[in-house]
Amino acid sequence: MQFQKEVEIRAPREKVWRFIWDVDRFIACVPGCKEAKTLEEGKRYAATMVEKVGPFKVEFPTNIEVLEREEMTRIKAQASGADNKIGSRMKLDLDVNLREDGDKTVLAFVAGVDILGKLAALGHGIIKRKADQVLDEFAQAVKKQLEGDS
Amino acid sequence: MDEPESVAEVSELLGRFGDSAKIYAGGTELLLAMKEGLVDYERLINVKKLKCKDVTVENGALSMGALCTHRELETSRAINEKLPALAKLEHNVANVRVRQVGTIGGNLCFAEPHADPGTLLIALGAKMIAEKSSSQREIDAEKFFVDAFETALEPDEILTKIVVRVPSPAGRSAYLKFGYLERPSVGVGLAFNLNGQVSSMRIAVGCAGPAPRRVEEAEALLEGKSREEAERNLAQAGALAGRAAQAITDLHGSQDYKEHIVGVLLKRAFLSALS
Amino acid sequence: MAKPMSRVSEAQLIPISFTLNGRLQEIDVQPHELLLDVVRERLGLTGAKRSCDVQVCGACTLLVDGRPISACTTLAFEVRGRSVLTIEGLAENGKLHPLQQAFIEHGGFQCGFCTPGMILAAKALLDENPDPSEAELKHFMHGNICRCTGYKKIIESIMAAAKTMRAGS
Repeated sequence: MQFQKEVEIRAPREKVWRFIWDVDRFIACVPGCKEAKTLEEGKRYAATMVEKVGPFKVEFPTNIEVLEREEMTRIKAQASGADNKIGSRMKLDLDVNLREDGDKTVLAFVAGVDILGKLAALGHGIIKRKADQVLDEFAQAVKKQLEGDS
Repeated sequence: MDEPESVAEVSELLGRFGDSAKIYAGGTELLLAMKEGLVDYERLINVKKLKCKDVTVENGALSMGALCTHRELETSRAINEKLPALAKLEHNVANVRVRQVGTIGGNLCFAEPHADPGTLLIALGAKMIAEKSSSQREIDAEKFFVDAFETALEPDEILTKIVVRVPSPAGRSAYLKFGYLERPSVGVGLAFNLNGQVSSMRIAVGCAGPAPRRVEEAEALLEGKSREEAERNLAQAGALAGRAAQAITDLHGSQDYKEHIVGVLLKRAFLSALS
Repeated sequence: MAKPMSRVSEAQLIPISFTLNGRLQEIDVQPHELLLDVVRERLGLTGAKRSCDVQVCGACTLLVDGRPISACTTLAFEVRGRSVLTIEGLAENGKLHPLQQAFIEHGGFQCGFCTPGMILAAKALLDENPDPSEAELKHFMHGNICRCTGYKKIIESIMAAAKTMRAGS
């Protein structure tokens, strides 16, 4: 599943860039994401993703790896996790881009999400909708965080 | 396994055990999810001892107990007489074994997107009666389904009855579904009065989106129109209903395909209701 | 084998008694135990099959109080105080039921995997509707899947059995 999101943030590019690497604050923007840990500064992180669709709940201990980094401009990362209780795996490929637009910064990201295993039984449609919702909420939360403190 | 005998007991158990307990009636959805390991409950609350199994008609309202099985609704004389479209829908739910034990309450509360009854009940303007220890409330069918697998019920509430106003002699209704997988992919329900003109038009679309929903935009194209004019507007109403269905591309079909099928079913359902 | 579904403690055994193929059966079951497993693994009646395990195919069909249910998705304790019929209980005193006879005579089975469920479902149909139209038969039997026969011979077998049963033999 592929998703594309773009959000305009009324904050300078440098501030947005720094925010991304502020792991605790950044992770707090991802709905359902908690217990973020830095394993290797700038390279590897860990977190737990908890998501719920009706009565179905998943908990993915997730490993995040930063693959490429272009200062102030671009990040390419990969995340993967497994919920062994349910027997499902999650894989996320993320491409984040920052560009300046006057006094605003445009944060654009392309996300490739794969859900394997039992959870897929819920239905591709439902998972797609949920992933879309999570990414939307994430983009809005980042914007709010950055525009909130001036 | 708890086997409460009153709504108050059920409410109390739900309140006490929260997420680790689940209501169990026919089990046709719940047991599947449990076997798959998708959900895990410490306790099941077997509600089959509750007195929610009657179909009654009183003061122009037909009331179905939430524990009525699909088979009981399918064969109920009252429903065959007063709500034949619902009897036909129940006759075609899943297969004979699921109809034997699956309950209407379980079907509605599990809120699987690919289900039939909710869609027609919305078109019929049904009211869901939700009860807990000390109180009861009415939830309009069109507000009952919040999202996939999510209803408007509170954590300690249980659905006990579904009430539908018995249509007047001028009342018409129909439900059509389409699918080639085990569960339906698209469902369209409608109900209206025909007195020279079409009135009280209600249209609902289900299965294609995360929850069944009413489509007022499409209703407006048929409301207050003569039969002939309504027929002429069917294609446009169908297109509106299709777009409102919140369909997405998945194994049941592409978004375009589902939207198209909504239009086809709306047209066929309307024409079949006229005759 | 079914996976244990629930963390209910083993200590909560439910003693149940029910009529199984005409005889009284008493057994203790766990709350989460499935009827199919009790019938196959504990009572040794392996006619009912675990096939799709999601109550879609009908290979696990049993009759409870004469009505067809999916044993793979039925908790065993639900049959307490009721009567259960498996394929093993259909023939009486060694004499095949007309449905069994008809399936043999009309080629209603090939590999036989779906057959116990198919025959029990057909029995429930004919008990409810002794003279079904083909459309009624197909609607009732819609939930029993066969991968071998293409259904034509199954329909013929059921119709033939119905005729025999109506004639009273």
